[in-house]
Amino acid sequence: MGKTIDCYFWNPNLGVEDGLEFTYEDVGSGIELKKPVFTVEVLDKIIEGIKQERKEYLLNIGIPTVLDAIGRANDLWMDPKYKGRKIAREVLPKVTGFSVEMVESWGFDHFLGIIKKENLPLFGKLKPDNFKEFTKLGDGLVKAYGEAKVSHSNYNPEVIGHICAGNILGIAAFEMVMDKLIDAATWIKVPSEEPVFGALYAKSIEEVDPRLAYTIAVLPFESGNNVVKEFLFSKSDIVRATGGEQARRGLSEVADKYKVPIAGHWHKFSFITIAREYLDERASEIAELVSLDVSAWDQQGCFSPQEIFAETGGSVSPIEFAQLLAEEMETTSRALPKGSNSGKMQVLDGYYQYFKKEMMGEPVKIFPSATHQWLVIYDGATTNFEPSPLFRVIRVKPVNDIMEIPKLVKPIGKFLQTVGVAIPKDRLIPFADAIGEAGATNIRTISSMTLQKAWEPWDGRFPLHELFEQDNIRWVSIDTIDIDKEIKTALERKRSIVDQRLQLDKLQEKEHSAMNLNH
Amino acid sequence: MVRFPSDEWIGIFKEELNKNKIYEEVAKTWEGDFLFVVTPDDELKKEVVFYVDLWHGECREAYLVKGKRKAAFVFKGPYSNWKKVINKELDPIRGLIRGMFTVDGDSKIIIDQAKAAQELVNTVSKIPVDFEG
Repeated sequence: MGKTIDCYFWNPNLGVEDGLEFTYEDVGSGIELKKPVFTVEVLDKIIEGIKQERKEYLLNIGIPTVLDAIGRANDLWMDPKYKGRKIAREVLPKVTGFSVEMVESWGFDHFLGIIKKENLPLFGKLKPDNFKEFTKLGDGLVKAYGEAKVSHSNYNPEVIGHICAGNILGIAAFEMVMDKLIDAATWIKVPSEEPVFGALYAKSIEEVDPRLAYTIAVLPFESGNNVVKEFLFSKSDIVRATGGEQARRGLSEVADKYKVPIAGHWHKFSFITIAREYLDERASEIAELVSLDVSAWDQQGCFSPQEIFAETGGSVSPIEFAQLLAEEMETTSRALPKGSNSGKMQVLDGYYQYFKKEMMGEPVKIFPSATHQWLVIYDGATTNFEPSPLFRVIRVKPVNDIMEIPKLVKPIGKFLQTVGVAIPKDRLIPFADAIGEAGATNIRTISSMTLQKAWEPWDGRFPLHELFEQDNIRWVSIDTIDIDKEIKTALERKRSIVDQRLQLDKLQEKEHSAMNLNH
Repeated sequence: MVRFPSDEWIGIFKEELNKNKIYEEVAKTWEGDFLFVVTPDDELKKEVVFYVDLWHGECREAYLVKGKRKAAFVFKGPYSNWKKVINKELDPIRGLIRGMFTVDGDSKIIIDQAKAAQELVNTVSKIPVDFEG
């Protein structure tokens, strides 16, 4: 008997399911994904339903009730035995291609921590004038770039729409939580590549507070379905969207047509900078941490590093660092292996491209994985920023001084996002000032590149604030005020993930040998 | 009817808050004093500042600040938004999250005390007021 997973969610009391047709997609192992075929009439009822519930319930409960419900829903997900998490564990690796270890460990245990009640970004609107220099916020620092010029303002959005990209798990949950904090009804288009988690998370809210959940509709529809898309835009006060260049063009057109403001988070590039001070006896620890950034989500995120700039002049040279990184990639890949979508072709492409360069005598050295799970390339031929083939393919490039980097990346400034750093305190602020000026928005300690802290801006805007105001200020953050302390904590976290996994492997090996002996 | 903002209003607020048993219960762990700053807008010409000392469910002091005064928390917003709070049209915590008010001090501590904040508003809303402008 197979298992059917609903990829949609809305108030079941609306009684619209009877009038809908559904499609069923077999994803293997007896699992099928059930998705509705929407009509405008049904969508209208769903949108009216979330608006009604907002008016009658959400607007009349106190923020403590909202926070409490979010906290309880999140607690459910932190429990490995929670039924929603069990379903997700079974289904998500099949639909996303990520490994179960990645989904469980990096996804649930760490990424979902962003929306823990105590981490929520509830500090209101910041005054840019108070942040002309990097100034404390949360446990890090932020700085405001640019002059305020409000292009959109609505402090009472009734309906907020979200179009989620499929590369990272969990965005749908983040969006639901943000909207509830500002009393908005929510519709979410879940990605075709991963249509499962959004509905599961909404159901977990339903378990703790059904009426709060009924202000949410999770709507799986194809990106090319313009009838549905246009109808939903026409009913929204603002739409937040994540996606690539094609999504940006298509959605901006619809937003213009219906005069709906769009808070877009589009294609971005991220990279790592290692200062020479950390390329000493700590270099292997730094490599350990960097390997986690490269492995997390198989580099599919906008915050995943595509290049590493390593400064010369340390006791460990950039090429030696590349070798250390290769060793750590192997260990980390055992703890967080790739899933079914291994991108082997991309890894092989990278391998042959750089193998040729190495053979031709270019200052290039490749450090491959025996099974093509990952690839580290030392590339001393150019310092130009080049996109990675992804899937754990990373280049290490030497730079004489980290302050040369802002100039190198300036041409792609508007596409820059996260910069993973291992830079000592006294050099970090001047570097952050310059890289922020070049266009980067999030400066994070290495190994935390894919772990946004809830107080941090996202692509230069605060995730809550941008839902009611767009003001042209670009906020740049540094995720810590004490990088050495952050590195120490990150190392503990990284080792706990790896150790836990490797212990499990050992246990499984023992069991396997015992079974073989018994036979 | 008392005028808001005024010395008389803050005096009544203190009396009423100290009669509020629910507040006493939900704010029993709260320790900290506030400056409530009403900033001018179309309807209010000059900034008004109230000092309110809240301690374990009790209001120990509350008055209109005439000179300079410091407090652990400064909760600030325009007069029109204060009016909405007094009329129970705006939850101050929601106002804070949306940026309609700002706070100097750890906003997380205030948000953890959201139930106490609600009771402050419930008390405020029971005082019949005459608004400036």
